[in-house]
Amino acid sequence: MFLNHFEYFAPQAAKDALDLCDRLGAKAKILAGGTDLLNLMKDKLLKPEYLIDINNVDEFKGIFYEPGKGAVIGAATKISEIERSEIIREKYFALHQAAGELGSVQVRNMATIGGNICNASPAAETPTPLVALGAKVVISSLSGDREMPLEEFILGNGETALAEGEILTKFLLPEPISGSVSRYGYIGLRDAMEIDAVNLAVNLALGEDGRIIKQLKLVMGSVFPRPLVSEEAPEILIGKEFSAELAEEAARAASSESKPISDIRASAEYRREIVAVLSRRLLQEAFSAAQGEV
Amino acid sequence: MKQLIALDINDQIYEVPVDPWDLLSDVIRKKVRLTGTKKGCEQGDCGACTVLINGQAVLSCLTLAIACQGKKITTIEGLAEQDGRLHPIQQSFVDYGAVQCGFCTSGMILSSKALLDSNPKPGREEIKRALSGNLCRCTGYKKIIEAVEVASETMSKEGVK
Repeated sequence: MFLNHFEYFAPQAAKDALDLCDRLGAKAKILAGGTDLLNLMKDKLLKPEYLIDINNVDEFKGIFYEPGKGAVIGAATKISEIERSEIIREKYFALHQAAGELGSVQVRNMATIGGNICNASPAAETPTPLVALGAKVVISSLSGDREMPLEEFILGNGETALAEGEILTKFLLPEPISGSVSRYGYIGLRDAMEIDAVNLAVNLALGEDGRIIKQLKLVMGSVFPRPLVSEEAPEILIGKEFSAELAEEAARAASSESKPISDIRASAEYRREIVAVLSRRLLQEAFSAAQGEV
Repeated sequence: MKQLIALDINDQIYEVPVDPWDLLSDVIRKKVRLTGTKKGCEQGDCGACTVLINGQAVLSCLTLAIACQGKKITTIEGLAEQDGRLHPIQQSFVDYGAVQCGFCTSGMILSSKALLDSNPKPGREEIKRALSGNLCRCTGYKKIIEAVEVASETMSKEGVK
């Protein structure tokens, strides 16, 4: 399998990467991990005239955490680095879980979090927990930076809010509120090297009494063209004392909000059922874990 | 336009002319002539093309050769001793019947090497997880997992890297 002919750039500085991106516009593609991009090029679905490799730009990489403020993750940070990060495990557990389920060891060593987001596959692992955790993205260009919530950045299957001349450079994760816990789960055809039929993340916070739900975000993946945030589950649970019955009600509500399609990986009917199963399971898990926190 | 690049493969420097679109798997096989690295699916699913870059298992079929300058690449040819003595992982794959047709073996052994370098005493589940990006259509994996377990013991006993 061959790649089309292109010119290759490997800038070292952010400024140079943005400069190239501005100058080359739509004829260029950003090369991060390459695990999606090079496959699209092998399949002749993309034929960029230029590749801008951002792997040597230190400003686009790394995980930085500041107590009280939250975490900043560079877009070119490898998934394996996120999987292994102690601070991500401690503060943003759902993201830690999702990073560990993406592809194989080899893919995680290559793929980046920015790439997983910009590829914008509805079945991708990291968008679901990132949206549940309230992540924002930083989009950079020669004219400066702009920020937006991740849920506004992903527009649909393979579509993002990225304009010509822009590079997704950072993720901003807010400091988790006290008493909060996040969990990620998925169902696929098998456990390894599969593409999720459904994935789901919850971010749940309990009040100081350890029973009343103070905050909840439940996000569904692979059941809509972009990550789908449940509106009904928080309405059912926030301000209430957690119970298995209420969790079941919220799970059913999330299931009815989902809008899956039938495809090679699962039928729409099965996906709706799995949304309920994963919702119930993760709400219960997150509740139990949050009780241990307060 | 071809460009002369230097690739550090198995601690030897190879100067090779490459085009930007040349994949590392093709350059290793066709230009450096190290054919132990295999090409299977060529889309990152099968793991046959696995090599180590700076000690980490990656897919050479989804890596541009031009991006590998200044990095340490290890292929299956880099594991045995100069005198031909096999690396303990290779030896245990032979001893425990983990090689049948052999096509996945290079990738399996390099993934195992990356695992044992970072986790010298992995449990069975950790081995399965580490090898889940390497497909084998012959063995059913049982013997491969056993071979990695034995290699883990041999390596820690002998202090081999």
